[in-house]
Amino acid sequence: MSVVAHLEHEALDPQLELAELTEQARGDGAIVTFIGLARPESREGDAVDALVLEHHPTLTRQSLEDIAVACAQRFDVSQVRVVHRCGTVPAGEPIVFAGAASLHRRAAFDAADYLMDRLKTEAVFWKREVGEAGSQWIEPTEADLADRDRWG
Amino acid sequence: MKIRFYGRLADAMGRELEIAAGEAASVGEIRQSLAASHPDIAEALRLSRACIRDAMADDQRLIGTQDDLEFLPPVSGG
Repeated sequence: MSVVAHLEHEALDPQLELAELTEQARGDGAIVTFIGLARPESREGDAVDALVLEHHPTLTRQSLEDIAVACAQRFDVSQVRVVHRCGTVPAGEPIVFAGAASLHRRAAFDAADYLMDRLKTEAVFWKREVGEAGSQWIEPTEADLADRDRWG
Repeated sequence: MKIRFYGRLADAMGRELEIAAGEAASVGEIRQSLAASHPDIAEALRLSRACIRDAMADDQRLIGTQDDLEFLPPVSGG
C-alpha cells in the first residue's frame, strides 16, 4: 500500500504522475485516474483566464493526506495518488490528479470517484476564477455536496 | 490577538487583523462582534469554520491569550 498526497506549487504534469503511479502499481490489474482542468469559461459563460487556489499553510496539506489515507483504507486498492495545485492555474491547465490502482477495476474506479467527491468539498482551498467578469469565488455546489454525501 | 482570514473573508477584511487581547472571549463572541462591525461579511462569517492552532474550534471555545484565531470560509478543491 502506498499513499501519495502532494501539494504542487508549480505546473502539474499528469503524464509524470501517471508514470509514477504505473511504476508503483506493478502486480495490479487496474489503474483509474482523474485529471481536473481549469475551465476557460465560467458557469455564466464569461471567459476565464485563470483559476487561483489559495491555500492554508498547514491545513491544506493535511486535508489532502486525510482524504487520500481514508480512501486507501476504505477501498481495496494498493496505490492512492493525489496531487493538487495551489496558486495561479491558467485556463486549460491541470488543477488536480487523482489516481488509484487495484487488483481489479471496480475498487480503482470507486476510489478515484471518492477522492474527487471529497476533494471538491473538503480539500482546504479557496478558489476564484479571474477573467472577463473580474474575480469570482467558487464554492461547492449542492450537487458537489450531494456527491460527497453518497459516501456516508 | 491576531485573527486571520482566508478566501472571500480576506477580500473584505485583509489577511490579518490584530485586536487587543482583553477579557477572555469566545469564538462566538468574536464572530458576532466582527459580523456587527462588518455587516457585508456577516453571512460569510456565519458559514465559516473557526480554527485555533490548526484545529477546528466551536463557538463556545474560549480564546487563550496566546491563541490566534482563523476563519475559514467554505472550502473547495478539485
